[in-house]
Amino acid sequence: MEYSAIFWWTTLWLLFWGVVGSIFTRRVYLRKDLDTSNSILVGSMVGAAFGPVGLVPLWLKTPEISRKLILIPAFVSVGIMMIAFALADPQNNCVSNGSFVASQITNGLIIGIIYGLMALGLTLIFSILGIVSFSHGEFYMIGGMLVYYSTVVWFPGLHPVIGVLIACLLTFMLGAVFERLFLTPLYDGRIDRPVEYGILITFGLAFTLQYFVQAVGGANPVKAKRFFDFPRIRLPDKADPWLIKTSRGNMELFDTISISNPRFVASVISIMVLLGLLYFLYRTWTGKALRAVSQDRDAATIAGINPHHMNMLAFAMGGMIAALSGATLVQAFSWLPQVGMIPAMRSFVIVVLGGLGSLPGAFIGGIIIGLVEAAGTGCVPDPQKASSYIPAYGMIVLTLTLLLRPTGLLGRRFASGTHGKL
Amino acid sequence: MIELEVKNLNKRFGGLHVLKDVSFGIKGAELIGLIGPNGAGKTTLTNILDGAIKPNSGTVYLNGQRIDQLPPFEVAKVGLGRTFQVTRSFRRMTVLENLYVPALAKHVAADKTEVTNKALEVLDFLTMRHLRNEYAQALSGGQQKLLELGRLLMLDPDIIILDEPFAGVHPTLMEIIYEYIRKVNEEGKAIVLISHQMDSIFSLCKRLLVLNYGDLIADGAPEDVKNDPVVVDAYLGKDDDENSDTTNNEKQNSA
Amino acid sequence: MNRQQTLWLISILIIVFFMTFPFLYGRRDYDYIMHVLITGFFYAILASSWSMLSGYAGQFSFGHMAFMGLGAYGTALFSHYFYLSPVPTNLCTEFEIGDQYFIIKDAIGVTSSTLDQDCLTKALAIWDGSVQITPMPIWIGILLGSMLGGIFGLLIGMLVLRLRAAYLALFTLGFSEILRATISAEIKITRGQAGIELPYLFENGITVFGHEFSKTDKIPPYYVMFFLLLACMAVLAWLAKSRFGLFVRALREDEDAAAALGVNTVRFKIMVFVITSTMAALAGAVQAHYVGIITPNNLMILQMSLVVAMAVIGGLENFAAAAIGAIIIQFLLELLRESFVIGGVEVDMTLWRLVFFGALLMITLRFYRNGLITPIIEFFTRAHVASETVEKRMDPKTEDVEEEGITG
Repeated sequence: MEYSAIFWWTTLWLLFWGVVGSIFTRRVYLRKDLDTSNSILVGSMVGAAFGPVGLVPLWLKTPEISRKLILIPAFVSVGIMMIAFALADPQNNCVSNGSFVASQITNGLIIGIIYGLMALGLTLIFSILGIVSFSHGEFYMIGGMLVYYSTVVWFPGLHPVIGVLIACLLTFMLGAVFERLFLTPLYDGRIDRPVEYGILITFGLAFTLQYFVQAVGGANPVKAKRFFDFPRIRLPDKADPWLIKTSRGNMELFDTISISNPRFVASVISIMVLLGLLYFLYRTWTGKALRAVSQDRDAATIAGINPHHMNMLAFAMGGMIAALSGATLVQAFSWLPQVGMIPAMRSFVIVVLGGLGSLPGAFIGGIIIGLVEAAGTGCVPDPQKASSYIPAYGMIVLTLTLLLRPTGLLGRRFASGTHGKL
Repeated sequence: MIELEVKNLNKRFGGLHVLKDVSFGIKGAELIGLIGPNGAGKTTLTNILDGAIKPNSGTVYLNGQRIDQLPPFEVAKVGLGRTFQVTRSFRRMTVLENLYVPALAKHVAADKTEVTNKALEVLDFLTMRHLRNEYAQALSGGQQKLLELGRLLMLDPDIIILDEPFAGVHPTLMEIIYEYIRKVNEEGKAIVLISHQMDSIFSLCKRLLVLNYGDLIADGAPEDVKNDPVVVDAYLGKDDDENSDTTNNEKQNSA
Repeated sequence: MNRQQTLWLISILIIVFFMTFPFLYGRRDYDYIMHVLITGFFYAILASSWSMLSGYAGQFSFGHMAFMGLGAYGTALFSHYFYLSPVPTNLCTEFEIGDQYFIIKDAIGVTSSTLDQDCLTKALAIWDGSVQITPMPIWIGILLGSMLGGIFGLLIGMLVLRLRAAYLALFTLGFSEILRATISAEIKITRGQAGIELPYLFENGITVFGHEFSKTDKIPPYYVMFFLLLACMAVLAWLAKSRFGLFVRALREDEDAAAALGVNTVRFKIMVFVITSTMAALAGAVQAHYVGIITPNNLMILQMSLVVAMAVIGGLENFAAAAIGAIIIQFLLELLRESFVIGGVEVDMTLWRLVFFGALLMITLRFYRNGLITPIIEFFTRAHVASETVEKRMDPKTEDVEEEGITG
């Protein structure tokens, strides 16, 4: 580990020039009477990637800011970090073991899809009601708990997919009832600071739900059975099945990438739900009405949409989506009443990264966070520390997002800043 | 002697060029109307003068001090006060507390009883003395508007920018606001009045500025401006859109 | 006597009650009740400072417990790693200061083996009782802990300047989770989940007015915590009355308007962060010394939820109401601890009380937005307002002013 200094010095170098770039590029663009909206981001990225060699030409030429100008330096700086890491710790699994890397990336992608789905619920609630639900993690937890209880405790032998449906139905109802009882004063201007009210009341719901589940079900970890087994592919012994090998709980692709069954099933369900959701939002009348309300509440009201119904639908659906991701993951992880905290935090990070209120942003953000966490857990040398720090990886992304591009990847322009709504 | 000097102000939001080389000056206690169609850049101009947003280029000097790069609170101390298009009283503070804020912010060593006396004077002028300990949110919309004007009196700036003071105001209240503008102007303060209500503008102001999509297309006495073909073509001639509800566009621009 | 004076009288009575309580109460559960009260004071400091931050200044930070933890861990690490010794150990990192040696113990984490001891323990074993080492005075640790909280408050305050409502809440929640993760993960330094033990507030006992108290006696820490609470309340009261309180409330209501009226919003936002996080850190440091151990679980979101709930139920926008709410709720929570059996089903109240508590929080928010204590206080302080408002209506000359209530 004596080479680890290489990594830290490189990080410091990147940080320094990133900061220099972000501060001065904006001023240069301002002085030259140019659009400065993304100059902080470009400056920091170019600074981090190329240091002074990149910044000086940038300041001299001040090209118009394009997506390419952001993305190329971003990838270059990630590349530099990776090379520095490889030099610093050549024995690390992440560097020396190609199949491990491939597995990590695949698993990161798969779990990222599920993260994306959960974040989608949060962003749906935000885009319609304008509040951030702090009870999102508890819906996730309850989703998993309901699958466990319905398939193991209440009706042993019930097929888990029916359990998932039960979980969806009950959490949808829970969300709808909560919205009717506690969120209605938000809409008629009776509350001065609706955003804060939303935070506190959902926070209260989270607190209540968590202890309710703990009081009813106890604090022991539970786990549901696998939903499906992989089909066993029987091939003659001589044919080396390098392309795909399956056992009941695991699948191996190309002899290198191993995917565990629960995660695979969960991500397949997530993709299906996602497609269904997209169909719902873009092809059905109700879905279109929802999107209309999210874009312009007053105009939608004039057009004959009852925004109160949409609020209820959005909150209930958002909660249900969180519950669904919990319900699909209860077969992969052991479940506790406190299990919702970290996924909730992660959803917040994803939603801010993707842009508060942006549906595609939530999905892209989910995949990015999935990959970042896979890299973090796989590459940090001490595995025990690596898993403790899981929330921290997301937070680093969150901090960078808030500093460099507060609107997120695909956010609306006025989502933050001095004149923002939030 | 009050002196505001605006030179070659430019502001862009993304591809939108909201202010194009705007230059004008104010000397002494003038009463100026600033008019223009919705989206002309009136609110953006106010925000730049006030320091809430920075211009891409150009300078603003107030009484010899450059203010275009200062934050709003410094600008307020130098001597420029403004109201907002949408009434922005401090809703959960009492009327008196609303008035204390600017007075104490401007003078660090202000004497509390002196400030209170001044605040009560202001309230008497606004006919709101009896409401002094009510929370601002308990006031009607018009009273909140008056309260905002009262806060400006407590700040005691040299130049006051009033953004749509007449929007949605009861006729009785309108009289009070008229009187307020006249009195404050007579006391030696310059006033920039932004409004869509042409009769009020023409009856009060002695000089008009006309903004049209970022261009300052006219600057002169009301009669001259009224007959200026450019202005007629751009603004007055068109059907006079007097409600200010559609100004949301401007709000988004300034975000 | 008007209502204002009544309120004063009540406050003084409450203070006198708590001042004399340790001598008036004599039941068998004395230590337990005292413990509940000390914890109640601790939460009262947290809730009232959080109400200054979120209720007055409108900065909804969920990182308050993280600042508390910074204070506690600051003093814990200080007292755990630094010692003074008259003789060099030749094992530890040490500096000579005058005729003493300043010793920094090495970090070894949690170990069960007797071979793998820290350097100071080894040195003590070699000396075999011939040398007396001195631990650092705990007040320095408490001071450093509070400063640590203040410094982090400054940093976080500067980072979140441009963030509003939801973003701020998310960011601070994340900060607090990272801090907890770091403390749990860096076992070598912080001993992880095992927690760090601290010396008691009065490790060697204390003699007051000729009465000797041992280190586990409740009376000295009771008064320490109570006076700390009073001091914090005094500071908060002074801040709330001064221009600081006026300005932070103005920026809560409308930041742009406040700035346009000459309020340096940036400065006051950062100031309120620094002041309240210092208070939280101070309370955390003292409480850690009282309890004698600090673990990362003290930073959990549950603890933050408790503080939030106490402040909201008491009254978010009045720090005194938040403090009273905290003490009352702490008491209620302890009273409701008793489990009972209904119809053969055992109800585990240790959990159900929290469920009720959460429901109470939601109902308070929904129906009594000012909390349950604030209206009582306002009954005394705002009694004159209604009559003032009506006084003008009697005056026929100004009828028109009342009429325009329909506008806008």
